Amino acid sequence: MMSATSKFMADILTVAKEKAHSIIADAETEVQKTLEDAKAHLSKEAEDVARNAQAEAEGVKRRHMSEARRRVKLKEQQEKSKILQEVLERTRERVMDMRKDESKYLPYLVGLVENGIRELDIENVTIHLNQEDLKRINRAKLEGEVSKKLDKPAKIEWAKEPLDTSGGVTVSSSDGKTRIVGTIDQTFEALESRMLIEAGKVLFGN
Amino acid sequence: MSGIDTVKIIVGAEKEAVKILEDAQSEATAVRKQLDLKIQQQRDEILRAAEKRAEEFLQRAEEEGKTEAENYEKTSEVTVRDLVTKASSKKNAAVEKLVGIVLEGKA
Repeated sequence: MMSATSKFMADILTVAKEKAHSIIADAETEVQKTLEDAKAHLSKEAEDVARNAQAEAEGVKRRHMSEARRRVKLKEQQEKSKILQEVLERTRERVMDMRKDESKYLPYLVGLVENGIRELDIENVTIHLNQEDLKRINRAKLEGEVSKKLDKPAKIEWAKEPLDTSGGVTVSSSDGKTRIVGTIDQTFEALESRMLIEAGKVLFGN
Repeated sequence: MSGIDTVKIIVGAEKEAVKILEDAQSEATAVRKQLDLKIQQQRDEILRAAEKRAEEFLQRAEEEGKTEAENYEKTSEVTVRDLVTKASSKKNAAVEKLVGIVLEGKA
C-alpha cells in the first residue's frame, strides 16, 4: 500500500512527464506542420519549374521548325534564282544571236530609231552604233525603213565614233545634248527588274 | 516518517519534475533547431527532382524538334524538286516572253 507521500511524489512526476511529453509532441507537430507548409510552397515552385520547362520546350521545337523553314525557303530561293539567272542568260544569248540575223536585227534597230526620233521629237538626229554594226548594217536600208515608219524622210546623221556596247542604238540630237539610249546592254539593265518579275510569273506562277 | 522527511521527499520530487521539464524543453528546442536544415534538405530534394524532370523534358523536346524539322525538310525537298521540275519545263516560254520584252524595249 502506497503512502500518501509516495503517491503525491508519483503524481508530481507523472504530471511532469506528461507535460514533458506534451512539450516535445508540440515541438514535433509544429515542425511537421512547418515542413508541410514549406513542401506545399515548394510544390508550387516545382510546378513553376515544370511550366517554364514546358514553355522553353515549345520554344525549342518552334526554333527547330523555324530554322528548318528558313533553310527550305533559302534553298527554294536559290533554286528559283538559278533558274531565273539561266533564263536571263538564255534571253541575252537569244538577243545576241538575233544580232547575227539581219532580217531580224534590222527591224529591231528600225524600231529603236523610230522610237528615239519620236521621243526626241526633232527633225535631225544622230544615230550611234557599235563598231561591228557600223560596218555591216545597211544604213540606207535602215534610213528607208525608218522613213516609212515615220511617214516622212528621216534626217539621220551617223556618228563616226562607235559605241562600246553589244548592240542596239543611241539616238541623239545633233548637238548630243539629248539622247535616247537603246543599246542592248542598257535595255537589259533597265528591264532587269521587269524581266525577273515576268519570268517569275511564267516559271513559278500557278 | 517525520514531517521534515516528507517535505524533503516532496522537494526532491519537484526537483526531479523540474529536471524532466527542462530536458523536455531542451529536446523541443533541438527539434525546432533542425527545422531549417530539414526545410533546406526538402527544398533541395524537391527542386532537384523538378529540375531533373525539366531537363529531361527539354532534352526530349530538343530531339522531337530536330526530328520534326528533319521530316519537314525531307518533305519540302520533294516540293522544291517539283517546283524546279515544273519551272524547268517552262524555261523556253519564259525566254520567249523576255525576248519579246527586250525587243519591245519598254521598261
